[in-house]
Amino acid sequence: MLSTLELKVTPFHERTSRLSVAQNWRRWAGYRVVGSYDLSLDHEYWAIRDRAALIDVSPLMKYVIEGPDAARLLHRLTPRDIDRMTVGQVAYTGWCDEEGKLIDDGTISRLGPQHFRLTAAEPSLRWLSMNAVGMDVRITELTDQVAALSLQGPKSRAVLNRVCKDKLDGLKYFRWMNTSVGNVPISVSRTGYTGDLGFELWMEADQALPVWDALMTAGDDYGITPCGILAMDMARVEAGLFMLDVDYTAAPHAWIEGQKSSPLEMGLDWAVNLDKKGYFVGRRALEREKREGSAWRMVGIEVEWEGLERLFAEVGLPPQIPSMAVRESRPIMCDGKQVGYASTSTWSPVLKKYIALAHVQRPYYEVGTSVLMEVTVEHHRKYAPAKVVKLPFYEPAWKKK
Amino acid sequence: MASDVIIIGAGLNGLVAANYLAKAGKRVLVLERRAVAGGQAVTEAFGSGFRLDVLHAGGQLRPDIVSDLGLDVPASRSEPLISVLPGGGQLRLTADSDDRTLASIGSVSKRDAERWPGFVAFMSEASGFLDAAYRTPMPRLPNVSFSEGLPLAKLAMNLRQLGPRDMFRVIRALPMSALELTEEWFESDAVRAAIGAVAVHGATLGPMSAGTGYTLMHNWLNRGGLGHRRVEGGVGRIADALVAALKARGGEVRLSADVKRIILDDQTVRGVRLANGEEIAASTVMSAADPRHTLLTLVGAPELPPEFVWAAQSIKMRGSVAKVHLLTDGNHGLPAGTLIVAPSVRYVERAYDAAKYGQVSQQPYLEITADGAVVSLHYQFAPYALRERDWGQERAVLERSAVDTAAAAFPQLRSSIREIKSLTPLDLERTYGLTEGDLNHGQLILDQMFFMRPMPGWSTHKTPIDGLFLCGSGVHGGGGISGAAGRNAAKVVLKA
Ligand SMILES: Cc1cc2nc3c(=O)[nH]c(=O)nc-3n(C[C@H](O)[C@H](O)[C@H](O)COP(=O)(O)OP(=O)(O)OC[C@H]3O[C@@H](n4cnc5c(N)ncnc54)[C@H](O)[C@@H]3O)c2cc1C
Repeated sequence: MLSTLELKVTPFHERTSRLSVAQNWRRWAGYRVVGSYDLSLDHEYWAIRDRAALIDVSPLMKYVIEGPDAARLLHRLTPRDIDRMTVGQVAYTGWCDEEGKLIDDGTISRLGPQHFRLTAAEPSLRWLSMNAVGMDVRITELTDQVAALSLQGPKSRAVLNRVCKDKLDGLKYFRWMNTSVGNVPISVSRTGYTGDLGFELWMEADQALPVWDALMTAGDDYGITPCGILAMDMARVEAGLFMLDVDYTAAPHAWIEGQKSSPLEMGLDWAVNLDKKGYFVGRRALEREKREGSAWRMVGIEVEWEGLERLFAEVGLPPQIPSMAVRESRPIMCDGKQVGYASTSTWSPVLKKYIALAHVQRPYYEVGTSVLMEVTVEHHRKYAPAKVVKLPFYEPAWKKK
Repeated sequence: MASDVIIIGAGLNGLVAANYLAKAGKRVLVLERRAVAGGQAVTEAFGSGFRLDVLHAGGQLRPDIVSDLGLDVPASRSEPLISVLPGGGQLRLTADSDDRTLASIGSVSKRDAERWPGFVAFMSEASGFLDAAYRTPMPRLPNVSFSEGLPLAKLAMNLRQLGPRDMFRVIRALPMSALELTEEWFESDAVRAAIGAVAVHGATLGPMSAGTGYTLMHNWLNRGGLGHRRVEGGVGRIADALVAALKARGGEVRLSADVKRIILDDQTVRGVRLANGEEIAASTVMSAADPRHTLLTLVGAPELPPEFVWAAQSIKMRGSVAKVHLLTDGNHGLPAGTLIVAPSVRYVERAYDAAKYGQVSQQPYLEITADGAVVSLHYQFAPYALRERDWGQERAVLERSAVDTAAAAFPQLRSSIREIKSLTPLDLERTYGLTEGDLNHGQLILDQMFFMRPMPGWSTHKTPIDGLFLCGSGVHGGGGISGAAGRNAAKVVLKA
C-alpha cells in the first residue's frame, strides 16, 4: 500500500519501472517518473530527434470544464480568444493574475461547444473555481483518472498509423481527434513539449497499459524508445519552450515582485489576444505593458564556440559542457554590467551548440545583440561571448507539416 | 437630458451623495427600486392602517451635512434610554446627566451615578474622534501614497488633541468588548447591560464580543447618545427633505426603478439597465445598494478580478435583526422613551449566543418604541441563516417570543394588541434589498472598519470598474443614518 509520504506512481509505472535501468527517478507534481532510462541521455534524446520517443506525461494536471459558461470561463481566465477556437482545436496559453503576471501555462482543447480540457503544471482547482463565480459551469479534475503519453519524433505519426483505428495523416498541428487503440478509446492531440513532430495520447488510467504495449510493439521497426523527462528537457530548450518555476516563477510562488514574469515578457505576444472582447484576468496590466513595452524578454542565447574554446584553452582544457539541461541561473552581461540571466542552459546535440533560455532587459533583448554569459572554467568565473537569437533554436520542417 | 451621474438607491446615503453632486453642478439621476424614497429610514404604511417608521426608530443626519446642503429637516429630540429591570424597576439613562438620570443610576449604585458624567464625557470624545475618522478619506493599505497619508496625519492630530490620556483610552476602547469597557466604569450589571445593549444594536455581536467598544462609539455617534432621536412626523421626513433639496438643485429621483445590471464596456461603466429593460447611459454610476449586491449581482463576478470577487464574497453580512409591530387599541401602557429589555449582560450575551448557532433568541434583547397606538419591537437576535428551520416556520416563534418578552415587561400590553405584523431578516432582504438582512450593508466589525471597509484595499469608494463608485452604508463612513458615507463618496467622485 502507498503511504501518504510516498510519491504516487503513474498508470504506466508497471512498464516504466522495469525498463528503467538507471533507476533515475524524478519528482513531478506528486508523481514518480523516469528521469532517464539509461545512464546517458543520448539514446533517448536522439529518439526524439530522429525516431520516436515514448514519454509518460501522466502527471500533467488535467481539468475538464463543461457547461453553458465553459467558454466564458476560459475566456476570462486566459488571454486567449476562446471565441475564435473551433471544436477540435488545441490552444497553448499562459494565464495571469490581475497584475498580468504568469501563474501557470498549459493547453486548452475544445472538445465540444461547451466542453474543454485544460492542462496545467500546478494544481488549479481553487483558481478555476474563484474565476467561475457567477457562472454556470462544472469543473472536474481528472489528473489521476486520465493517463497521458507523449509520442515525439519524426516517426511518431508512422507508429500511430500502425496502431490507431484511424489514420492520423489529416490531424493538423494543434488539433485533436478521437480514435482507439485495440479496443481502448483514446484521444490524440498533435501537441508536445519537444518542438518535433509529435502527439499526446489521452486515455482512461485503467486502460493505459494495453496502449503502451501496442505502441512499443508497433514502434519496434521505427526504433521507438521509452524516454525520460531529462532528454525531453534538452529538447524543449531547443524548441524554445519554457518551464514553470524553472524559466519563470509562478506569481503565487514569487517572494518579491521582481521574480514574476508576464506572458509578454516570456515572448507569448502571439498568445495574448488584447483585441478580444471583454474582461480577462490581467487585461489592464497587459494592455499597459503592451503600450509601454516590456522591461524584460525571454530570448535565446547562443554561446560562440570559439570564444568558449579560448576560455578553456587558457587552462589547457577543451570546452567542458554539461551533457544535460542545467537549471542554474547564469548572469548575462553587456556593456560592463549585468543585463539578464539564463535560466536553463544545455548542450544541443542536434545543433551542436551551447544554448540557453534567458531573461534579458530592454534594450539588450533585441535579436543579434552581442552579450557575455557567465561560465565556470575550472572553478573560475569567466564570460563567454554569446549572441541573442530568435526562438526556437531548432524547428524541423516536419514539426507542423 | 442625459445625466452625468446615476445613483442607485434613494436611501439616505444615496440622496446625500446626490445632493453634494448636484450642488457642485452635476446632473444627477437617482434610481430607487421601491415606490418610496428613504431606504431603511422610511415612513410608510404597513399592515392595515399603520403608518410608521417601519425599520429605523429615529435618527439624524450629521449636522454638518444638514448645513452644507441647507436641508429643511425636522427637529429631532433625543429620548432617554429606559432599561426595564426584573421586578418592575427601570433604569433611565440620558447623555446629558440630568438629575433624573443620576437619581435613577443612584438607585442601583451610588458609585456608578458619580462616574456617569465622566463616562458621558469620555463617550462624547470617543464618538467625536469617530466622527472625524468617518470624514477622513482612508488610504489603500498597504501602499499608502503621500496624498493619501496627509488626511490620515490630520486625523492623528485630531486624536492627539484629545490629550495623551484620552487618546490612549479611545484607541484602547475600540477593540475592547462593551463588557470590558463598562466594567472599568461601572459596578452595576444593569448599567453595563443597558450600555452593552446599545453597543450591539444592529450588529451580530454580544456585549462580550471584541470590537463592541467600537460599535458602542458608532451607535453613540449616530444617536447622539443612548436613546433614539425620534423625528417629528416620522423618519421619512429626512428623505423628503433630501429629495426636495435635490429637485431644487435640478436633480431627479425615479421611484420604482429597479436596476438589474450595471452596463460595462471593458471594465468601464456605460450606464444601467432596469428590470423593465430600459437602459440609461451615464459614465459615472454610484451605488448605495450594499457592496456585495452591487458587485456580485449588478456588475457580476465574471467582470471582476478573481481576488476582488473573493474579497467581495467574504464581506460579512450576517443580519440578525427582526421587527415586530403591534397595532394596539392605544392602551398599551408604555412610557415615552427608547425602552429596552436587556436586564443583565448575561441576558444580552445569551440572546446573542442563539444567533451564533443559527437560532432565534428565545429570550431576546428587545428595543421597544411606541408611536401612538403602534408599538414597535426591535428584536435581537433573529439570524438570517437559520439552522434546521426556515423563516416560514420561524415567524410564528419570533412573534410569540417578541410579545411574551414585551408583555412580561409591560403586562398591560398583551390585551391591547389588535394586529401583529413582523419583518424577518429575509423580509429585510426581499423588501428592502438588504443582503442577508444586514442593516449596515456589511457588519461593523474590526476587520471591516476604516481602511478595511468594504474590503481591504478598496476603502476609497472606487472599484475595479472605471466610473463605478460605492456610496452606501457598506463603505467608509457608513453604517447608520448619518449620511457620512454618501458625502465621502461624493467628494471622491467630484475629485475624479
Ligand atoms: C431595524 C433597523 C434599525 C436600525 N437602527 C439604527 C440605529 O439605531 N442607528 C443607526 O444609525 N442606524 C440604524 N439603522 C440603519 C440605518 O437605517 C441605515 O444604516 C441607513 O438608513 C442606511 O442608509 P443607506 O442609504 O446607506 O442604505 P439603505 O437605506 O439600505 O438604502 C439603499 C437603497 O437602495 C435601494 N436599492 C437597492 N438595490 C437597488 C437596485 N438594484 N436598484 C435600485 N435601488 C436599489 C434600496 O431599495 C434602498 O432604498 C437601522 C436599520 C434597521 C433596519
